[in-house]
Amino acid sequence: MAPSIGTSVPRVDGPAKVCGSARYVDDLVLPGMLHGATVRSDVPRGRLLGVDLDPAFDWTGITVVTADDVPVNAVPLIESDQPVLARDEIRHAYEPVALLACEDRLRLAQALRHVTLRVEPLPPVLTIDDALAAREAIRGADNVIKRYRITKGRGGAAVEGCEVVVRGVYETGWQEHVYIEPNGMIGWWDGDTARVEGSLQCPYYVQKGIKGVFGLPDDGVDVTQAVTGGGFGGKEEYPTLVALHALLLAKKSGRPVKLVYGRQEDVEASTKRHPSRVEIASGCDRDGTLRAVSIRVLFDGGAYVTLTPVVLSRGALHACGAYRWEDVTVEAVAVATNTPPNGAFRGFGAPQTIWAIERHLDRVARTLGTDPVALKRKNLLRLGDTTATGQTLKESVGVEECVEKAMAASGYVEKRERGPVVTGRTARGVGAAIFLHGAGFTGSGEKYLKGKVAVDLLPGGRARVRTGSTDIGQGTETVFRQIAADGLGIGVENVDFAVPSTANVPDSGPTVASRTVMVVGSIVDAAAKELRARLEAEEKARGATRSAAWERLAADPARATSLVQYEPPPGVVWDDATYSGDAYPAYGWACDVAEVEVDLDTFETKVTGFWAAVDVGRVINPTLCAGQVEGGTLQAIGWALTEKLVTKDGKILNPRMTNYIVPTSLDAPPFTTTLVEAAYSRGPGGAKGVGELPMDGGAPAVAAAIEHATGLVLDRVPMLPEDLFEASVKGGAR
Amino acid sequence: MSVAGLALHPFSTPKTLDEALALLAERSARAEKTVLLAGGTDWFVERHVAPAEEAGVLPLVVDVSRLDALRGIAVEGETLHIGAAATYLEIRKDARVAARCPLLAATARDVGALQIQARGTLGGNLASGSPAADGVAALAALDATLLLRSIRGARRVPLAGFYTGYRRSVLAADELIEAIEIALPPEGSPFAWRKVGTRQAQAISKVAFAGLAVVASGRLARLGLGMASVAPTVALLPATRALGLSKPLGEVTDADVEQAVLADVSPIDDVRSTAAYRRHVAVRLAQRFFGELRAL
Amino acid sequence: MSMETNITLTVNGSVVTLEAPPAARLLDVLRERLGLTGTKEGCGEGECGACTVLLDGVPVNACLVAFGQCDGREVTTVEGLGSTAHLTPLQEAMVTEGGAQCGICTPGMLLSAEALLREEPRPTEPQIREAIAGNICRCTGYQRIVNAVNEAARRREARS
Ligand SMILES: Cc1cc2nc3c(=O)[nH]c(=O)nc-3n(C[C@H](O)[C@H](O)[C@H](O)COP(=O)(O)OP(=O)(O)OC[C@H]3O[C@@H](n4cnc5c(N)ncnc54)[C@H](O)[C@@H]3O)c2cc1C
Ligand code: FES
Ligand code: FES
Repeated sequence: MAPSIGTSVPRVDGPAKVCGSARYVDDLVLPGMLHGATVRSDVPRGRLLGVDLDPAFDWTGITVVTADDVPVNAVPLIESDQPVLARDEIRHAYEPVALLACEDRLRLAQALRHVTLRVEPLPPVLTIDDALAAREAIRGADNVIKRYRITKGRGGAAVEGCEVVVRGVYETGWQEHVYIEPNGMIGWWDGDTARVEGSLQCPYYVQKGIKGVFGLPDDGVDVTQAVTGGGFGGKEEYPTLVALHALLLAKKSGRPVKLVYGRQEDVEASTKRHPSRVEIASGCDRDGTLRAVSIRVLFDGGAYVTLTPVVLSRGALHACGAYRWEDVTVEAVAVATNTPPNGAFRGFGAPQTIWAIERHLDRVARTLGTDPVALKRKNLLRLGDTTATGQTLKESVGVEECVEKAMAASGYVEKRERGPVVTGRTARGVGAAIFLHGAGFTGSGEKYLKGKVAVDLLPGGRARVRTGSTDIGQGTETVFRQIAADGLGIGVENVDFAVPSTANVPDSGPTVASRTVMVVGSIVDAAAKELRARLEAEEKARGATRSAAWERLAADPARATSLVQYEPPPGVVWDDATYSGDAYPAYGWACDVAEVEVDLDTFETKVTGFWAAVDVGRVINPTLCAGQVEGGTLQAIGWALTEKLVTKDGKILNPRMTNYIVPTSLDAPPFTTTLVEAAYSRGPGGAKGVGELPMDGGAPAVAAAIEHATGLVLDRVPMLPEDLFEASVKGGAR
Repeated sequence: MSVAGLALHPFSTPKTLDEALALLAERSARAEKTVLLAGGTDWFVERHVAPAEEAGVLPLVVDVSRLDALRGIAVEGETLHIGAAATYLEIRKDARVAARCPLLAATARDVGALQIQARGTLGGNLASGSPAADGVAALAALDATLLLRSIRGARRVPLAGFYTGYRRSVLAADELIEAIEIALPPEGSPFAWRKVGTRQAQAISKVAFAGLAVVASGRLARLGLGMASVAPTVALLPATRALGLSKPLGEVTDADVEQAVLADVSPIDDVRSTAAYRRHVAVRLAQRFFGELRAL
Repeated sequence: MSMETNITLTVNGSVVTLEAPPAARLLDVLRERLGLTGTKEGCGEGECGACTVLLDGVPVNACLVAFGQCDGREVTTVEGLGSTAHLTPLQEAMVTEGGAQCGICTPGMLLSAEALLREEPRPTEPQIREAIAGNICRCTGYQRIVNAVNEAARRREARS
């Protein structure tokens, strides 16, 4: 059997998706189903005095749920500070306060207009600076959600003694996921069993939320993933809230309830990428050898803790970039504000700090009068080097090869040497970014997670993978089949993938952190290989053929299944107290080159070419892998150039697709993607993760290209034409 | 959310223009509201963001998208006649428009994306009266005349006299836009269409500039200009037009153009852009056009 | 002038007569009355293109068309292309080239591409990009969708 790993097996869920028969949550209808809606606050901060139902409105057939109906009113996550429905405190402008359900959608929409919230407004904390100033305390006395400190060598103080000291401040704004399918869940009760089906990334997160709020045992909750129309982190923690809301309405009405958000509600209420400010001071030799760096990372966490501590951690751990530093301090702080909670978004804190360090090294290069890539190359982490947390890189560092490949494919060096090309009122330039992304959970995360996977032998020579890792478009279903097929030595067409439902798949840990292929894939591999060994033993013991052995094992419930739990590789040591050690088992590496054309009158930037070379370890499925790289990169380009959430007094002014601007096919550059394979010994077949990595490099590469083309230096994303214009007024452009 | 309420709207599909006009007349006489539905690309969006309607007071929706009298594109003598319900797609594909009025073809191609072009119409663009209306900016540069009709008869209103303020026009309650008439410039007349939007497609204009000129021995014999998103209504840039017509092209400097454009526009800050940027772009696009004309 | 009217149209090749509110969105009638849930709603405002269907062969956003405007016309949805057992070359290429990831944009994307290929059997890359500019895909970066349409054009030509 020719191995399937390394080939572009067409995605298994493809045919249903191209025929319109794949069922997403909004396509599902249950008998007797009601439609649900959420009543939200309108002010960013205040005291909730009451929820009034207009007595003149006819409420028959309408179910109303408030905080009084919630058994345990806290969404269980890292901290349980977020209520399922606000009871007395309003902490952001889209806080859910009450829920309505009705069979008729028009009546439901009308009813929404007849609910009034009595709220006494309080002065809100809306920005990082507001929060740090702590004139209003909304969390503790200092509004701080979490702090980390990383030090290496003599620490950041060593910067001052260096030959060349450079300082800079780099900022990023919110980013909204804009998965094309908004959040949605159907919830219903089967006696005492809570059931939900919907759009989600992590069935066991949702299960945990339901267990906590309704006080149910593991087997009292069944969470099933419907085909999910994109997630990108946005359906990591948020769907728990939607599921809880649907179940509350279902409980009170005694009917199944479908709660599907409209686009505007989704943009307003769901999580977004954390806004950030990163202050860097670095020291290097006159020849460009980097020595010391002192970095302060500030993230806006929004109204509740959600996943902010973990996002901040990843941000801090990526703050030094792909470079060698002898002396380091990273001080990272996340603060609370009265804005909707920020949460998981592809890259998970790293895009913000990679943006900062890449822009900063561009600044250092400018100061030294050298090309940024030449400077960065000189200082790249190599095998045997130690990172800021003191991790020694022992294997799988493909960054040098990535840089070489990206340079060659894009013609970067020649284009830089030639200088910007100005034709009429258009200037063309190129820029690059070099970066890394830790694969898998940070530090000791995987040890606590204990992810599990089951592989079953089925009659007829078939096998089945059962995992809580979901396919949200990135191709889990296909890639896991490939891994299992090779492990068992059978064709990929003989492997099934069980619909992720907590009732019949084990908890593999969440579908996040680029861990699905590397971590969960490795246990799929282990389970498949274990079954293969059983088959071989059976063959030997009974002198049977493989297929006879297969059928015998498949018929024996005690032997048909292999359930394997993830064991973090030995020798991976992490200390949470000092924030030092092996932050990640392995890193993905990459080099991006962007070419842009800037209209010197209108300051519109068009990305005309994009070359990415990425080291993802062994590539399981080249087509799916390159698709991840390109899709992630385009999200980064959108973040860089057009995606700006405009807010005023804590409210979002552009919560629609007509004014929150994501790229179309005409905004996207042609992509040239090169896959570099520096195998990782503990990944399945040598694979690392790819999901998040491509989100990190697009923005700094585009910024460097704009700088090359126009001489304009921008240190804040997004870089709208208006921002380039402003910079030109200040600085004087070409 | 409130799209659920669409099911409550009464709906009518008149077979002829007269039938539609009679309906409009009857209802406006009784002070009942009527919505003319052409491509629906503005109206459905408006319904989508509006709060849920209470039953009983909904306007009658009258589908005019398939009225023959509103649909054709024709050239009669030196006049281009475009039915108010002709779609952008029909306009951009029309050979006569491409040859004789390439400005309008270019504009049609820049509206939304294909799906919007397949439904959207100039009649809807005009009637909605958005200051960001691309089609209206092009029609401004073309100095179009609007043919308005009611049961009382027809009247012709130059575009310059159509709007009375932000989203307000002289269109009466019983009246509809039947067609747009454009006095065709000589073939090959220089024109400019430049849309600066939020992205390359599916974009609302931050600034859009339309220009049309007829040049005779170094002077402008005709100059039409239109600009979207720089004033409460699509701007006709009277000072800039006057400047262009006032002296030989060679004598019109960039500084003159800047001064005139700044006198003509009054942009604002909004979620899409800033007033300062819009002013800058407005000036530059006009300067570019004059530069191109000088270079002829 | 009634709120429910009998409207006759052709959907995916079959003539259907349906009593439904004429001002309702074509999108809702397709999904809720006809059970054709392949047509998706991503925004309800004409921006995302997930609801794209062909009306008399031309791509339109079903969230912006009144059902009453479809009387006597022909509507094609994704269900009117091939079936999982018999994919059209375009559907097949979309799968093999990696043009569909989460798949929510895919039905609309396919219809825009289908309309293009009917009109322009060998489109250029700029033509492809223009034809799908009204269909937002947040997953793929578009490159693989463009490749799929190219590949479909090749396969269609090879078949005919
Ligand atoms: C995604 C998207 C992108 C868009 N992009 C652009 C763009 O790039 N540029 C741009 O300018 N616009 C754009 N628009 C707005 C819209 O498409 C245009 O304004 C279009 O021209 C409206 O025409 P319609 O036929 O669809 O109008 P409809 O929605 O049918 O009608 C709009 C209004 O006009 C009235 N009306 C229609 N026809 C007549 C008539 N003959 N006489 C009197 N009143 C009439 C209606 O009663 C209604 O009040 C976009 C819209 C969307 C949803
Ligand atoms: S749902 Fe119709 S375009 Fe988005
Ligand atoms: S495949 Fe997910 S939006 Fe296109």
